[in-house]
Amino acid sequence: MTTAAQNASSARPPFIGTNVPRTDGASKVTGRAAYVDDLPREPGELFGATVRSPVPRARLRGITLDPAFDWSDVTVVRASDLAVNEVQCITAEQPILAADQIRHAYEPVVLLACADKRKLAQAVRAVKLDLEPLTPILDPEQSLAKVDVIWGEDNVHKRFSITKGRADLPDPAASAAAIEAAIASSEVVVRGRYTTHHQEQLYIEPQGVIARWDEKGVHVTGSLQCPYYVHKALVHGFDLAADRVHVTQAVTGGGFGGKEEYPSVIALHAALLAQKSGKPVRMIYDRKEDIEATTKRHPAICEIVSGCDRDGTLRALSIRILMDGGAYMTLTPVVLSRGALHAAGVYRWDDVRIDAVAVATNTPPNGAFRGFGAPQTIWAIERHLDRVAQELGRDPMDLKAQNMLREGDTTATGQTLRGSVGVAECLEKALTASGYHDKRKAPPAVRGRVARGIGASVFMHGAGFTGSGEKHLKGRVAVDLLPGGRLRIRTASTDIGQGTETVFRQIAADATGLHLADIDFAVPSTSYVPDSGPTVASRTVMVVGGIVERAAREVAARVRAEQETSGGDFAAAADRLLTKEREVTALVQYEHPGWVTWDDSTYKGDAYPVYGYACDVAEVEVDLDTLEVTVTGFWSATDVGKAIHPVMCKGQIEGGSLQAIGWALWEDVVWKNGLIQNPRMTNYIIPTALDAPPMHVDLVEAPYAYGPGGGAKGVGELPMDGGAPAIAAAVEHATGLFARDLPLLPERLLELQTNRKG
Amino acid sequence: MSLADLPLHDMQRAASLDALCGIVAERHARGEATVLLAGGTDWVVEQELKPPRGDADPRPLVVDVSCMAELRGITATRGLLRIGAAATYLEIRRHPTVIERAPMLAAMARELGAIQIQARGTLGGNLATASPAADGVAALAAYDASIVVKSVRGERRIPFSALQTGYKQSTRAPDEVIVAVEIALPPEGSPWLWRKVGTRRAQAISKVALAGIAVRSEDRVVRLGLGMASVAPITATLLQTRALVLSRPLSAITADALDAAVLSDIAPIDDVRSTREYRKHAAKAVVRGFLRDLGAPV
Repeated sequence: MTTAAQNASSARPPFIGTNVPRTDGASKVTGRAAYVDDLPREPGELFGATVRSPVPRARLRGITLDPAFDWSDVTVVRASDLAVNEVQCITAEQPILAADQIRHAYEPVVLLACADKRKLAQAVRAVKLDLEPLTPILDPEQSLAKVDVIWGEDNVHKRFSITKGRADLPDPAASAAAIEAAIASSEVVVRGRYTTHHQEQLYIEPQGVIARWDEKGVHVTGSLQCPYYVHKALVHGFDLAADRVHVTQAVTGGGFGGKEEYPSVIALHAALLAQKSGKPVRMIYDRKEDIEATTKRHPAICEIVSGCDRDGTLRALSIRILMDGGAYMTLTPVVLSRGALHAAGVYRWDDVRIDAVAVATNTPPNGAFRGFGAPQTIWAIERHLDRVAQELGRDPMDLKAQNMLREGDTTATGQTLRGSVGVAECLEKALTASGYHDKRKAPPAVRGRVARGIGASVFMHGAGFTGSGEKHLKGRVAVDLLPGGRLRIRTASTDIGQGTETVFRQIAADATGLHLADIDFAVPSTSYVPDSGPTVASRTVMVVGGIVERAAREVAARVRAEQETSGGDFAAAADRLLTKEREVTALVQYEHPGWVTWDDSTYKGDAYPVYGYACDVAEVEVDLDTLEVTVTGFWSATDVGKAIHPVMCKGQIEGGSLQAIGWALWEDVVWKNGLIQNPRMTNYIIPTALDAPPMHVDLVEAPYAYGPGGGAKGVGELPMDGGAPAIAAAVEHATGLFARDLPLLPERLLELQTNRKG
Repeated sequence: MSLADLPLHDMQRAASLDALCGIVAERHARGEATVLLAGGTDWVVEQELKPPRGDADPRPLVVDVSCMAELRGITATRGLLRIGAAATYLEIRRHPTVIERAPMLAAMARELGAIQIQARGTLGGNLATASPAADGVAALAAYDASIVVKSVRGERRIPFSALQTGYKQSTRAPDEVIVAVEIALPPEGSPWLWRKVGTRRAQAISKVALAGIAVRSEDRVVRLGLGMASVAPITATLLQTRALVLSRPLSAITADALDAAVLSDIAPIDDVRSTREYRKHAAKAVVRGFLRDLGAPV
């Protein structure tokens, strides 16, 4: 009997919930895995490069190719060469190449390709841009004030409002007056302004693609998260039929959202050069170009006014969110939406008004990054409740616990939580494991010139697309039956290092009773995988994993039916079925739970089918001389519904938390006149292993009835949300310095200390 | 971008130190520079930042000195520690005599860069590129080290105090090769401090770093060496601060006087790593910390 048959016919313990070896592990640790720049050179292949704007805003008066330079073997593409000069994203407002206006530094203007890499570098310098610099708008508040109009009619990429309770009035002015009145009538009113900064994804592998054309159309292979996003952009950019565009994911070294929308740009660039030259074109960014030109986390300013009772019951909340979208809108509306939907935190409020607006600035477009707007607003609400607690003389976590959402409570959008609300257990576990209460009660421990403090945050993150997103998207997965009773999963959900391949195999194996080794995972290519939707939004396991489960089950059921009628083992039945039907495939589409209702026009209803919850605790030491902060311990208890692969699940939480710690303490894009001063790994400071604290992760499992494998929810983004406020609370406990602005650099803490003394 | 230009450099090794001095002198006479490559931890990075070379540009000569015997090795004789210019930081931090007699140097080397950088980087390279942010040079300043240089005209020693003249400027002649550094070892057990305030715990360039070495006799400091990185166009030797500390009993040193001396010794700037204000604050704090350890009431 074959392995497949043995495993299918005899009961075995489930793979779900166990830590099976990663199926991509061996090839990655041995260096066999071929990332895009490892792929063999194709005959005649050229390297591609981009001539970019050195200024943040200008009129582009002309482009001159230095006549002294030999251009005979250099392919040149300008905006004037393009039939369509639009990057299709949510809309198509971003040009592929700047035509007459420069709207941000590093904006692409001219594309070049040459077989000789050295000559290509010289050619980049031999392109002269005739620029008439204009005064850039670099500050979102100036943009909102329309100091100058740089995008659309009023610089506004998008606005949203969320209203609840007494503020839930159709007229915005009446609603604003109502929330103001509700807050004014509260016993305790607290105001605050909280800001967050850019963050660079700094995936280990920079962006890169290879493009070529043949009789079948255009082929792009690259480092990317979402093959169908790139597909859509190429279809639009070249006005091609869908079946003439072929996008394949190469092994991808991390994304964190940075390879969600940007790969469309580099893919269009490489494909344009390949089309014009008639040769394959390889475009690989170096680190500097990658940091400068690609997307970052949206900076945000949140102004909060809240009212509560003297006993700590939260009543009314007003939040104004301003996000910096950068020069083009790209995905900003969706980031803003998620930010707004998470702005009220994990708390009950009677009356809410949230006004969110994103505006353009003359900086490179900001984009998707793990958390997608939520870390920005969760920073604000968590810090704000710390302030409220201060005002009430309460421990912040006691205040938060008193007001946390429970099953049956309603969120700011009026969504009633229907179960899988594990937040209380998360809070209890994290606070107990870290000894939070005892450490908070004791006065801040000062040893020599070092002060120790502890702080915490509690938060939730919506899993899957917002509102009706999944319903419209209709993500699909195919599972094929292969000879010998094996299965192949075809999905556009990519493994970018987070373990998708392995987890999907576990889900498919347990859905069918097969062994892991009997499940194949097809390389995601739009030529042969269906559109499962993008690899984003904490949706891969929960949404797409659920489709994988159903599709695998469907194929296995057909084999079993064959077994029942004609006997034999699973493999034999599978082979018979394949002989009979030639092709046995289940193509299954996502089905949103029927009870989910969402109204996009009023922003009311079930914003997400379910939420992940977590409580983070950070313990820090602050050097009182230099104000350097060291995180000495980090605890997270996270409700993931069901951990399919506990080690990788904890890995997501540890990695995401460390990324949050980096954002909180060190990571800072330094700008000067719209240009990035630190586009290198030596000066864009992410934590090293020595900066990483010991991490203590507790998995809480409050299963989601519609999640795969017994109730899995999304986990990818959640751990990015709570680290920064927990650290700020710990720094406050240690030093008394209350930070409202990220990052908590020693320089910033010194300013706070100086101002306090002053 | 222009790492692709590396093949445009002529690369070679020299048979001996004398031969190397000859090559450097001959090219210098013709107005041509010679790059001496040890670890390459600065130079290779700089090449990446440079614009691509044109085909007509002269081909630079790079001489690999990383294996040159005369530039390597660490020896200690009669209280004098001699470290070859091409000895790596890893060799320095692991050398028993350094660990025992110059522990501050070993501590500095342990915190410098990553282990890969330590395995390639050298004191000679740090001195040649002459960055005021160089940790190794700050340590040499505190030891009041001498720099041994050689040219076709012969060998000479430059006291650290006479080495640096301005941002990346020094009194070493362009045709002089850095051979070694020499440190007069302080008495065993002398108090010392290496305090790096970096951008993170490892692989960080200093915002401020203090190297300190002291010889104490009862309530007085009788010998004091200080070197500070990243607070001035050159490695700061904190001469006012040294003078203040040596001029009176430890018990008579006040925090205010010490702070004032430190501020008069440094001229920090805002840059991508930190701010002028923070550097002033941290410089004062780390000097106070050292003096506090020595017994001053600061």
